[in-house]
Amino acid sequence: MSSPKRDERILDEMDAAAWVRDGMTVAIGEPAPMAVMRQLIRRGVRDLTVIGSGLGLDMLIAAGCVRKTMAYYVGGGFGGAVAPSFRRAAEHGEIEVWECEEGILAAGLRAGAQRLPFLPWRGGVGTSLPEVNSDLKIIEDPIKGETLIAVPAIEPDVAILHASASDAFGNVQHVGGPGWLDLFLQRAADRTIVQVEKIISNEEVRANPWATTIASIDAVVRVPYGAHPFYSRGHYVQDKPFTKAYVHAATAAAEDDDRSALDEFFRRFCIEPATHGDYLEQVGVKQLISLYEY
Amino acid sequence: MADTEVSREEVIATFLANELEDGEILQIGAAMPIPEVAVRLAHFKHGPNMEMIFIGARMNVAHLETLPTPEFGWDRRTVRWAESFSDTGHRFDRVKDWDKRVFFIGGVQVDPHGNTNLIGVGDDHSHLQFRGPGSVGTSTLSTHVGRYYIVLNSHTARTFVDKCDYVSAFGWGDGDPEARRKLGIPGGGPKYCVTPLCVMDFTEDTKHLRLKSLHPGVTADEVQANTGFELVIPEKVPTTPAPTAEELEIIRTRADHRGVLRR
Repeated sequence: MSSPKRDERILDEMDAAAWVRDGMTVAIGEPAPMAVMRQLIRRGVRDLTVIGSGLGLDMLIAAGCVRKTMAYYVGGGFGGAVAPSFRRAAEHGEIEVWECEEGILAAGLRAGAQRLPFLPWRGGVGTSLPEVNSDLKIIEDPIKGETLIAVPAIEPDVAILHASASDAFGNVQHVGGPGWLDLFLQRAADRTIVQVEKIISNEEVRANPWATTIASIDAVVRVPYGAHPFYSRGHYVQDKPFTKAYVHAATAAAEDDDRSALDEFFRRFCIEPATHGDYLEQVGVKQLISLYEY
Repeated sequence: MADTEVSREEVIATFLANELEDGEILQIGAAMPIPEVAVRLAHFKHGPNMEMIFIGARMNVAHLETLPTPEFGWDRRTVRWAESFSDTGHRFDRVKDWDKRVFFIGGVQVDPHGNTNLIGVGDDHSHLQFRGPGSVGTSTLSTHVGRYYIVLNSHTARTFVDKCDYVSAFGWGDGDPEARRKLGIPGGGPKYCVTPLCVMDFTEDTKHLRLKSLHPGVTADEVQANTGFELVIPEKVPTTPAPTAEELEIIRTRADHRGVLRR
């Protein structure tokens, strides 16, 4: 007699991306989970509210997927103060900017994770943040009467993260990390997708359960080089020429109204490659293996 | 070592380095080359017990000859000197001992009372004339650290404005020396503002920017002409001291051996 089998949670990148529908709130981890994000761009998802930062967020904006950002920092990299597509879209009123700060965002995610209507935060008292973001409320705390900011609960529909490895049942083990706000995003989100460099056996996970950084995640996507052109701790470093080429194309679109290079970038790397494997072929083996050097 | 002229950036870094004391914890954000060299100079010269946090990587490298600027903050191979990363949990999970911490902040705009703006410029927040990068963690850091330094890469009347369009880090509010205490903001606030032209401190009674020292070759008139409000200018303003021979040697061979501040 055989026992019923435990369900595996492995999805391919296309099925994972299908979890995200127009208008949802999506949290993007660090490094950006590009394999799934490229599928979002390929599917032409629209009107997303995105919790994220940096150039990964900028690509989603450039591709027209974003209606609202919840970001504390959208720097341009390579000395650029502000990411080009974010800057243009914000200045033209094409996206709504939920103005916040790292501590404030973390407080809202904590509240979301803990089924609280809000959590208080001190950083930001005295600033313009509550004026330009009406969701942030100045409150007097009932214990000591101090002035604080009430940050409403933030609950992403889907969080998408990148990590080193997971077993088939969603027990994730990072090599270094999880980074920055990733655990906060996962705890606050309704469902979380983690894309990984490799699937490992359940035995390997059980050999060192303390190494499990996120347990029992909803979906696992196996995508070696899945964070390219960004880095993956313990695996590869950022592909700087590639990222610079994106910044160059996005800057031309943002500042000179010339979208030709940007459209070509998306056509070549997001639209034409149907799968992550197709994308890696487009990038090329030599380029990929060069990313082990630093 | 003085084979080339001392650059203004080296003067500023030396000034900041001599502000820092051994044992302090120094938080350095992205794209702040002068504070990066300043903390390394201080660490090598007089601060073997300092801890430097470059973005998220906490390190002490007093035993090393040099510390190349970490190119990237989160990968252990590029930041091979890190002893820990502050993203185990979150870097703001414990702020109660931040009175020992020192921080450097930039800004798109700075007002006479040291309030700073990283949000952007323009009356309409939904259509800014210039969209800034965002507040990063500066609202929280400026609230809690023992003291911080405003460090700008340019000194113009567009940067130094009578009133910031938006404030992302609260300095001294409207200039009341009690402004922070009244709002329950525990940190010590901005101590100095350092620019390519000068060092400024704040007057005691109105917390208004006041010229403290001029970098070599700069005049008070030049500073005032590039400031969008009236600075307090004392009768005698000293020159920001040049690095000593020892300091210059440490900068050029260890703290900034790649010469970032000489380009």
